[in-house]
Amino acid sequence: MSGAHGIVAQLARFAGALRSCGVRVGLGDEIDAASSLTLVDLLDRAEVHRALRIALKVPRGAWETFDKLFAEYWDGHRAPEHPALREARKSDRRPPAQWRWDGERVRLALRDEQQDTEGELPGYSPEAVLRRKPFDQFSESELAAMERLLARLALKLATRRSRRLVPTIARGIIDLRRSFRRALGSDGEFLKLARRARPLDEASLVVLYDTSGSMEAYTRVLLSFAFALRRVMKRVEIFAFNTTLVRVTRMIAPAGIPQSLQRLSAGVPDWSGGTRIGGCLAEFVSLHKQTLIDRNTTVVFVSDGLDHGDTALLECSMRELRARAGKIIWLNPLLGDSRYRPEAAGMRAALPFVDHFGPAHNLKALEGLLRFVP
Amino acid sequence: MQAEMERCGYIAEPAIATAVYLAKEMQKPLLVEGEAGVGKTEIAKVLARMLATDLVRLQCYEGLDTNTALYEWNYQRQLLRLKIAEREPRDPGELEDLIFGREYLLERPLLRAITRREGPAVLLIDEIDRADEGFEAFLLEVLSDFQITIPELGTIRAEHVPFVVLTSNRSREIGDALRRRCLYLFVEHPGFEKELRILQSKVPGVNEQLARRITRFVQRLRARELRKLPGVAETLDWAQALVRLHRDALDAETVSATLGCLLKDEHDIKATGEEAVTELLAYAFEKE
Repeated sequence: MSGAHGIVAQLARFAGALRSCGVRVGLGDEIDAASSLTLVDLLDRAEVHRALRIALKVPRGAWETFDKLFAEYWDGHRAPEHPALREARKSDRRPPAQWRWDGERVRLALRDEQQDTEGELPGYSPEAVLRRKPFDQFSESELAAMERLLARLALKLATRRSRRLVPTIARGIIDLRRSFRRALGSDGEFLKLARRARPLDEASLVVLYDTSGSMEAYTRVLLSFAFALRRVMKRVEIFAFNTTLVRVTRMIAPAGIPQSLQRLSAGVPDWSGGTRIGGCLAEFVSLHKQTLIDRNTTVVFVSDGLDHGDTALLECSMRELRARAGKIIWLNPLLGDSRYRPEAAGMRAALPFVDHFGPAHNLKALEGLLRFVP
Repeated sequence: MQAEMERCGYIAEPAIATAVYLAKEMQKPLLVEGEAGVGKTEIAKVLARMLATDLVRLQCYEGLDTNTALYEWNYQRQLLRLKIAEREPRDPGELEDLIFGREYLLERPLLRAITRREGPAVLLIDEIDRADEGFEAFLLEVLSDFQITIPELGTIRAEHVPFVVLTSNRSREIGDALRRRCLYLFVEHPGFEKELRILQSKVPGVNEQLARRITRFVQRLRARELRKLPGVAETLDWAQALVRLHRDALDAETVSATLGCLLKDEHDIKATGEEAVTELLAYAFEKE
């Protein structure tokens, strides 16, 4: 059966090409596709096309790529570097090759061609200047006020009741299944009825925090924001990004502020350097989307959106976040200035996906957040 | 397959027929996605009709739990039985077997689908995107093993593996794990020819010319910027309405009066004013 073998090999090459164009196709899908091919008429091109699309589970958004590659691989004229393929590669928004492991963490490899002509905008510095930021200590009262505010916010975020019913000792509807089980222990007498009620969904928060040079003036108040959050919420994850994305949750220990600051300035590279929101966000989405984001998650961006990286990449990642997260809040310190208009390319690309776009230059501005959250 | 589906009253595009055929042959669940009103649920119904078997439907909603999806004991009945048993002395073991017997078990859709004796049932898990993620994970287990464990009875294995159809409106993305277990079909709004044939087969009272005009009108309407595009279901409703009103021809007045059958959004209706209707009608009448 060398013919059948040839088809399997062809299928594997085809699946590989799909993967390299960003369509997620797993080995299981290839197996499904192979068995689907045994069920259809192989001479009928349209039939094979449909069967493969169904069995490889190609989502609607990737049909165009699929069609292009199908034409290349199954119609017999496979050119080594077909323009269509190159095109598809170009539009592939999450090239995994962009990352590299430097021994400590995954870094985004910078693409050099984007570093030209973009230096003239205020606040944006494409060179990743390696600087360590000296931190001031926060005043005690400032921190306390921040914490009170955020505690209220955390409560407000967690007011949604789940629709599921879970056992409760308080009031609720009678849970017959558990009541009967419990009655077994007392010779079938129902001494106490078991009840179920709808629990409060615990809110979780993911903060993506811009530490680039253009944000430098605001780091103090915003960092205390992060500290306070860590104290009042159980499920909070904090990421810092500039040219790389770093998970800093562990570095911010609520107990020791000076130590945390030290750890932060040592652990976050390029502090006060340039920004690549799109790349960092893409990395965040592909690494953490599944585990950290669900419908009860509020994603908070703290950034001025000054980014000349790939806005298409930013837009695509925002869309993916939008589909999964409960709420997206973007805090922009520049909004504090009444003359500011969100016209930076990065900001414009992200705005359609944001539920609340608010200022964050001081404590008072953050209070506005409370009003927004229902 | 296509012809067979058509015989059962479903005008299928080749892609749909292929997907149903593959799902049947490969014994894999079929995940159907698409806009509201393109006939996703109908696929399962037709499959059941085609195979002359039962359709077991599990409508998903947020908070759906195992009590409503799998099984529940009929506690009221069990209690009554125990009360009666108090008067007639009986062997306790026998009594226990009795009240934990199958008659006292309320079978919910998933259990019912796998215990059907006469042959495989069609299990429709509708709008899976409305259930929460936890339920999706639970489904994975049921869909891969087709067995359910009830502590009082033991493990119940599927007598026949049912054909499973899952539908989703994409209000939330379905987890990858579940998606990978299924075959995937995306249903789009039908083309002119297909919609016309659906219309003619479902609404027999409509004459050929009117059917063509209705279809062309709706097809054109879908090309507009609307919040909620009318699906096939809406086209059928509209045609029904026109037949009931004894209208044999489309005119601007009739269209405006019955637009609510097609557009279910205030903004959309406002956006489709007189001018738009005239333009759409002109298109509908164009090629005759």
